[in-house]
Amino acid sequence: MDVLMEGTDIRKRYRTGEVEIEVLKGLDFQIFQGEFIVILGQSGSGKTTLLNIIGGMTQASTGELYYKGQPLHSIDEQQLTLYRRNEVGFVFQNYNLMPNLTTYENVKLAVEIAENPLSVSDVLKEVGLEGWSDHFPSQLSGGQQQRVAIARAIAKNPELLLCDEPTGALDIQTGIQVLKSLQKLNQVYKKTVMIITHNVEIAKMANRVFYLKDGLLDCVKVNDNPLNPEDISW
Amino acid sequence: MVMLRRKNWRDIKDNKGVYFACIVVIALGLMIYSAMSIAVESMDKTLQKYYTDKNFADGFISVTGYPENKVTSLEFIPGIDQAAGRIIKEVRIIDQQKDSNRYLKILTLNRPNTPQINQIHLTTGQLPRENQPEILVDPKFLAANHLSLGDSINVNLDGNQVSLMVTGTGQSPEFIYIMRNAQDLYPSPEEFGMAYVSFSTLKALVKEKGQVNDLVITLKEGVRFEEIKDSLEAELKPYGVRSMVARKDQTSHTIMTSEIKSLRTMAKALPVVFLGVAAIILYTMLRRLIELQRAMIGTLKAFGFTNREIVIHYVTYPVVIGTTGGLLGGLSGVALSFPLTTMYKAFFDLPGLKSEFSFKYLFFSLALALIFSVISGIKGSLDILRLEPAEAMRPPAPGTASKTLIEKFTWFWRSLTSQAQMGIRDVFRTPTRSLFNVLGIAVVFSLMTVSWSMQNMTDILTTVQLEKVQTFDVKMQLSQPSPTGATKLALAHEPGVTKIEPLLEVPASLRNGWLKKEVALMGLTKETTLYNILDKKGQRVEVPDQGVLLSEHLAKSLNVKVGDEIYVESPLRRETIGQKGAKLFVKGIVPQYVGLNAFMEEKQLQYFLRQGEISTSMLIEMDPAEIGTMKNKFRNASNVASIESLKDTGDKIAKMMESFGFTVWILAILGGICGFALIYNASIISLSERKRELASLRVLGMTPREVLKVITSEQWTLYAFGILLGIPMAYGLNLSMAQSMSNDMYSLPAELPFMALLGAAAGTAFSVLVAQSRAYYKIKSLPYVEILATRD
Repeated sequence: MDVLMEGTDIRKRYRTGEVEIEVLKGLDFQIFQGEFIVILGQSGSGKTTLLNIIGGMTQASTGELYYKGQPLHSIDEQQLTLYRRNEVGFVFQNYNLMPNLTTYENVKLAVEIAENPLSVSDVLKEVGLEGWSDHFPSQLSGGQQQRVAIARAIAKNPELLLCDEPTGALDIQTGIQVLKSLQKLNQVYKKTVMIITHNVEIAKMANRVFYLKDGLLDCVKVNDNPLNPEDISW
Repeated sequence: MVMLRRKNWRDIKDNKGVYFACIVVIALGLMIYSAMSIAVESMDKTLQKYYTDKNFADGFISVTGYPENKVTSLEFIPGIDQAAGRIIKEVRIIDQQKDSNRYLKILTLNRPNTPQINQIHLTTGQLPRENQPEILVDPKFLAANHLSLGDSINVNLDGNQVSLMVTGTGQSPEFIYIMRNAQDLYPSPEEFGMAYVSFSTLKALVKEKGQVNDLVITLKEGVRFEEIKDSLEAELKPYGVRSMVARKDQTSHTIMTSEIKSLRTMAKALPVVFLGVAAIILYTMLRRLIELQRAMIGTLKAFGFTNREIVIHYVTYPVVIGTTGGLLGGLSGVALSFPLTTMYKAFFDLPGLKSEFSFKYLFFSLALALIFSVISGIKGSLDILRLEPAEAMRPPAPGTASKTLIEKFTWFWRSLTSQAQMGIRDVFRTPTRSLFNVLGIAVVFSLMTVSWSMQNMTDILTTVQLEKVQTFDVKMQLSQPSPTGATKLALAHEPGVTKIEPLLEVPASLRNGWLKKEVALMGLTKETTLYNILDKKGQRVEVPDQGVLLSEHLAKSLNVKVGDEIYVESPLRRETIGQKGAKLFVKGIVPQYVGLNAFMEEKQLQYFLRQGEISTSMLIEMDPAEIGTMKNKFRNASNVASIESLKDTGDKIAKMMESFGFTVWILAILGGICGFALIYNASIISLSERKRELASLRVLGMTPREVLKVITSEQWTLYAFGILLGIPMAYGLNLSMAQSMSNDMYSLPAELPFMALLGAAAGTAFSVLVAQSRAYYKIKSLPYVEILATRD
């Protein structure tokens, strides 16, 4: 498999008043094209910060990060925005949908800025929301909202899909539906998917699992037989 | 970005109240701006065109008598283009039915084959014919006196009764604004009007044959009146120059231009206040919207929207509001300019004045609204640029929880209810927003004080002038300077007369270096009690033995202070070789609300003029019951120009004050709308920020009214600070208003009475209360269970 992303000695420090906190303390990793990666770790271990750095939401304080051989650590805000626009799709725990746009409009919003987007209707059908186009987020269940968020992320046709606790706010049945959507994206469309979760069961779906502990990559486990979402439970 | 625009639209719909209030404030400001600007521009253009079309004179010279056949020779004076002579007589109308004195100033029309200066604009009928007892009157006089064409007017002309038939109505560019004298303040067409007769007709009726008593000149291009004044004065001196006035000092022209100037100032200043308030509302609203949509901004950034795209999205809100407000304001202003121009037309009777649809001001309104809204929008959305997407996704870090300044006053703090503590604490925790709101309230408050103090300014002006300065009962103006002793003696035994004081009022030119002013120099007796000069505290100031007293406005125009020397000239001064005028010390500077004068001791002025013991008026204190008798007795006397009782003057001024009332109310209402919009916006922001807190209070069992106290305590605190800041602001605004509205005719006192502050505070409080009543209904319908069930 081709290397999609490579990070070397990634560190991230935050300053809060007089105190400086180092959230990531020197991570080295590789992400391969078409992989399904799950990042596990306790609260405060640096999972979200790592995902944000990978997604170009913030930049590492030190270290080098390459995406398809191009440096991400030394580019400016404008180039970083282009990276997010054309290469990355995000799914958040709290969905972060625009409350006054309908399902269709929320997805269309992302499509409007993408270079090579997918059809909104096709994507909605893919996530099982074809009958819910005209509903506002407040008229949808949590699972449906998360599927809108996934549809919005994949409609841009990104290379890399980053999901921060996508099932964190959902019940098990709905969570499995959401995971099935993500797996389909990975397997059918060959997109690279990275999921942050507290839920160790979800790690059984991954090709590889990154274990983060106190800002360090504690270990990386390869899963030779990833499970289907319907085969896992929590 | 169709979807983002859709989001814009739906956000606006969800907060339509605040957006609407803001649109109204912008529209009001721009309506005033465009309506007034269009009216002022039309007035200015029409006036200039009227002056050009009718060949309005550049100089006006009043003489005792100048040979009619010599007038054209004045054109040989370098700089003078044309010169025309005319006869002017102020005549009293003989009317048995009416007790009041009605006067006409009769001017001769331009003779054929002479320069046609100050041509008449004929409104109705036709011009009087040569050698015919026919007269043309100004339209307002005709209407006010219910006259018709063909009616005859009987006048007393040089002691003879003459009947003149009205052939038409018309107006000269010299008398657009018709006042009998500069002290009148306001036209009174019922009692005084302009009339025109043919030269041959009036020539045959007056005593002085072959002479004119008034000259008008036009100047060659690029020549100023001051440049030819000395040569002209030298030529005319032997013929008794009474006054020489340049166009810029001519009464009607001065009033017209100062009216245009003050309207222009208002047209610029008022919209700034409104747009300023609108900018505050837009800024605070946008800041709040951005705070509320922080996660959405993060999401948009995460999806690859650029900072520019996001900023444009948020700036769209103020742009939509600005465009709507600008369009509404511009269009309604254009519409309002039509009745406004009609109103000015009725007031000034300026021929050809009409309003036209103006794309220019519609465009300016739109541009102004956009500039204000884009600036406040960009200023309000700058935080977006600083926000890193990863950071935006997290809720903002909680603010500092340390005690606010107000909480250090423990005794005060403990006496407050919990709701009040919540509200007041927030004022101090969001200092920038509070500061903007305080500033807005201060602006609204000071705008309201203007409406109250304008009334007060004019009240002071009338009260001081009629009750303290002019304490005589009757002012008898003599047709020409006359010996003081003989005149006093002639009046001393008239029934009811208790006191007579002479007044010597002469035209004079005051100079300090290149600064120069033409004024009436008044000579008063040292012990005068019928015309009092007062200082700022209302204490009587005695005329000095030597030197002059100047009015504040005059001293400012000449840039002199007490102790400085000014050079004084008067056409009435009998010249000695090499001494056209004399240097006099400024002995004092005194406030003067009506007129623009310099004051001297009577004997000193007589000495300065070298004309002996003369007076131009008699100030009389008398039994009011006898005033009518005196008027009847002297109204036909050839050496009496006019007799006016103080009551007549008072009535005229009172009439003028009525027209101020309208402006006062309009200003107060506009201020109130601004205040409402501002506070309403603040309430909506408070409500949206605190909906969880307020919902919790409702769940705790508090009534909507109890919950409202959180909002009201915050607003009353802002209000209190707003009023405190507004007081000095109001003083400044009133001072600049008084200065911009003062002219050579009157100076408005820049006093701000306690009642104005109280009234404005009450007016502002009222708009706060109205806004709070809206907030109450919002709290009442607060879906508190749903709010508490949703995640932030």
